[in-house]
Amino acid sequence: MNARILAAFLLLAACGDDSQKTAVPGVPGAVKTLASVRAERRLFDGAPPVIPHHDFGADCISCHTTAGMSVPQFGFAPPAPHDPEQLQGAMSRCRMCHVFASKEPAFADNDFVGLRQDLRAGKRLNDLAPPVIPHQTLLRENCMACHTGPAAREEIRCPHPERERCVQCHLPQQTTGEFSR
Amino acid sequence: MTHCDRRGFLGALSGIGVAAFGPRDCAAARDLPIQDPQGHADLKWDKAPCRYCGTGCGVEVGVKDGKVMAVRGDAASPVNQGLLCVKGYHLPAMLYGKDRLQYPMLRKDGKLERISWEQAIATIAERFGQALADKGPDGVAVYGSGQWTVFDGYAALKWVKGGMKSNNLDPNARLCMASAVMGFMTQFQSDEPMGCYEDLDVGQDFFLWGNNMAEMHPVLFSRMLENKRRNPGVRIVDIATRRTPTSDYADLYVEFEPGSDLALANGILHLLVAKGKVAESFVTENCVFKRGIEDLDKIGYGCFGEQAEKYTFADETKDATREDFVKFLADYTPEKVAAITGVPVQQIQALADMYGDAERRAVSMWCMGVNQHTRGTWMNNLITDIHLLTGKISRPGNNPFSLTGQPSACGTVREVGTLANRLPADMVVNNPEHRAKAEKLWGLQEGTINPKPGHHAVDMFRAFQRGDVVAMWIQTTNPWVTMPNLHRFDRKPGDGRFLVVSDIYPTPTTDVADLILPSAAWVEREGVFGNTERRTQQWNKMVEPPGEAREDAWQIVQVAKRMGMGNLFPWPEGDWHEPMFEEYRKFTLGIGKDLASYAELKSTRGMLWPVVDGKETRYRYAAGFDPYVKKAAGVHFYKAKGYGEKAAIWLRPYHPPAEVPDAQYPFWLCTGRVLEHWHTGSMTRRVKQLHQAAPRAYVEINRADATRLGIKTGDKVRLVSRRGKLELPAMVDGRGKPPAGSVFVPFFDEGLLVNRLTLDAMDNISKEPDYKKCAVAVERA
Ligand code: SF4
Repeated sequence: MNARILAAFLLLAACGDDSQKTAVPGVPGAVKTLASVRAERRLFDGAPPVIPHHDFGADCISCHTTAGMSVPQFGFAPPAPHDPEQLQGAMSRCRMCHVFASKEPAFADNDFVGLRQDLRAGKRLNDLAPPVIPHQTLLRENCMACHTGPAAREEIRCPHPERERCVQCHLPQQTTGEFSR
Repeated sequence: MTHCDRRGFLGALSGIGVAAFGPRDCAAARDLPIQDPQGHADLKWDKAPCRYCGTGCGVEVGVKDGKVMAVRGDAASPVNQGLLCVKGYHLPAMLYGKDRLQYPMLRKDGKLERISWEQAIATIAERFGQALADKGPDGVAVYGSGQWTVFDGYAALKWVKGGMKSNNLDPNARLCMASAVMGFMTQFQSDEPMGCYEDLDVGQDFFLWGNNMAEMHPVLFSRMLENKRRNPGVRIVDIATRRTPTSDYADLYVEFEPGSDLALANGILHLLVAKGKVAESFVTENCVFKRGIEDLDKIGYGCFGEQAEKYTFADETKDATREDFVKFLADYTPEKVAAITGVPVQQIQALADMYGDAERRAVSMWCMGVNQHTRGTWMNNLITDIHLLTGKISRPGNNPFSLTGQPSACGTVREVGTLANRLPADMVVNNPEHRAKAEKLWGLQEGTINPKPGHHAVDMFRAFQRGDVVAMWIQTTNPWVTMPNLHRFDRKPGDGRFLVVSDIYPTPTTDVADLILPSAAWVEREGVFGNTERRTQQWNKMVEPPGEAREDAWQIVQVAKRMGMGNLFPWPEGDWHEPMFEEYRKFTLGIGKDLASYAELKSTRGMLWPVVDGKETRYRYAAGFDPYVKKAAGVHFYKAKGYGEKAAIWLRPYHPPAEVPDAQYPFWLCTGRVLEHWHTGSMTRRVKQLHQAAPRAYVEINRADATRLGIKTGDKVRLVSRRGKLELPAMVDGRGKPPAGSVFVPFFDEGLLVNRLTLDAMDNISKEPDYKKCAVAVERA
């Protein structure tokens, strides 16, 4: 496997050109899009992704820094989307939620069908208003991790990452109901 | 302008010259489908506690078209505030393994055949009825679980004790929590911790006794780490027999010789007294001193060696004085303790200084290392002694806090009392007043409840093997993986005895069953669990169980009705959960164990008992927190009526373990769990992500030993104990690192049963087996 393909594999979610798409075994002509790579790495949308590379024996944060980091031979190690402060505390043990993937055959087959990602635009009051945040922000406090950088998919890429304080204009949607007294 | 190449990232990339990302990458990405019919939009979310560990994290369960499709951490839950561990996040797949048990099955001529519920219930009723007729109340047994909901446990208790007049009801929690129960009972005459998880947020010095919290109670561990981040003065001490992921976060790692924790705790008590660190007025006002039988010859090691078939021991409670205590501790000088434990004198002193620092708050936490111990009750006593002696108890951030492994070990086993000697709310069968109270609340004739305690777990399986018990029903647990010294329980169905097993997947236990019942799991039924911090949590049924699976409580009620004991369960078929809970709740009211009403439980994220006037209790026995404490300030151990409403400081000596390494079996073997799997893995192994991360058991071995024996990671290693042999792959410098002369094997793997090696020595008081220490030989296979 050349380094470039390997790199594409290791991106949590990234842009890709055709050379980075891989064939789907048993489905002629079909290629894996990166959305499907993203889906493959988690049980359902919202479950923590598994770790797609082997155990380097290093601390996760030595590569998955707050801005992410490009790793020779492997590609871009994206930052965690979690609150950077809590990453020093409550969430400092990454492997509490993220475990290594392997090729082990299943212990028993499973029929579970999980929730899939449903990318949708946040609602706007009018064409010029900033969209609200259309997803939960719990554990996704670091907007930049997914919405900027090489790991960001085109549809959700932020056009103005220099305005760092996202929630100043984009409000997390707490309820779908209306206000009433 | 695309934003693939924002400065920061591009800079990082070009600097090292790997795959860079250009505009073309983004063009391709734009074509990705973004609408998905399996979307989030029409999911219905409802609250439930996690199915797995005793932490009791709140989850929200997302359901669509009758299926669970997702879970998320419940941000409104005070337990976990939205965070889960990897097991919790992967909960939904646990329900959908292809091999779910769906129909009752009866073994005929060695083959399992599908039968109807009607036939199943009739068969069980007949076989249990026959057993009662032939052997009396001793001929039947029910082996339950700390994973039982309150309903399952209560139905079993009422059927066994109120219906069949037997006390042969014991849970798998005997194998994990019993020593903690006896610890709290002997000291406070009331079970369960005084503190709550808030202790993790406000404690300053944390002492983890033999407890790999990072893997076993990950969400609680993370709560403690968050406290440390906010308050850098927080210190974590890992007192252990091997290095684990927990040790990586500890400020101080204290390694002791297996079993010598008794000496270490006494050494700390010795120094607290010697250095004048005793909270004198607290002790005078609130504590008494007690001692029991201390003679090793009189106590022995449980169902082990000569006493293997029949072990009886009853401790005595004798009054002691402060002088006795000081004299008793004189033996435990730092030098002597260092010699027994292998802990350097400086470390013993450091521990005593930390515990003795009146300016700082201290929380001790422990789980299986202390409980699965031939002197587990004693070790529980000694840790709590330290807190009593220093007055660091029943205050925010100052508590001895025992952690539970199962989701309702507290709520069902300890509170409902599904143990061989218990009745609800701390009552016991050998107390006539307690029996009378239960009989009255159950509307039974006086004298119905049998005053003789039944078989505890290990003894129950012995009795079944001997043929004293001829009909046994096991629910929600997998003893043919978890019993110590499994050879003793080898069984071929068709031996004339009758074994019913209710479970959700096939296991080594259903393999030896005569009749298998399919159970509804977790949110396939309505339930209540009680977690480690006294929080009672309710959830609703959200999806239908597969096939004909039914909840455990329903199964028991049907059999009881068939046996003519329907009077015990007078509620209508479709609506019995709330009335059953409210009946049970009556046991708890007015005695400091008050549970919240069902309505309150339905509308909250659980409540910490005692709940009085709708208010929960964060700190038991503490003025200002506990409604039963009338004092203006301080503590009042009002449940300890037998000790003059004071807590007991116990004098408990060091005894060596039952089996220690020798020339023939030179290594210690310790067994335990891993983060990814819950207990015997019957649920978690059916989840791909969890199985792939931890596909099989292994033996952790120290690098020096491995080098000496020519063993590398992945090599086949043979472990041999006096009871059996096991071959499994080696792990050197894995997540756990045992010291030289010591190995560790996780017990989750039904294909590599480490309990074929373990011994059945047990705690003298709690009758909990010691899975943490036996002697093995290690060789290359
Ligand atoms: S297994 Fe325990 S720590 Fe993990 S999510 Fe469930 S309750 Fe929480």
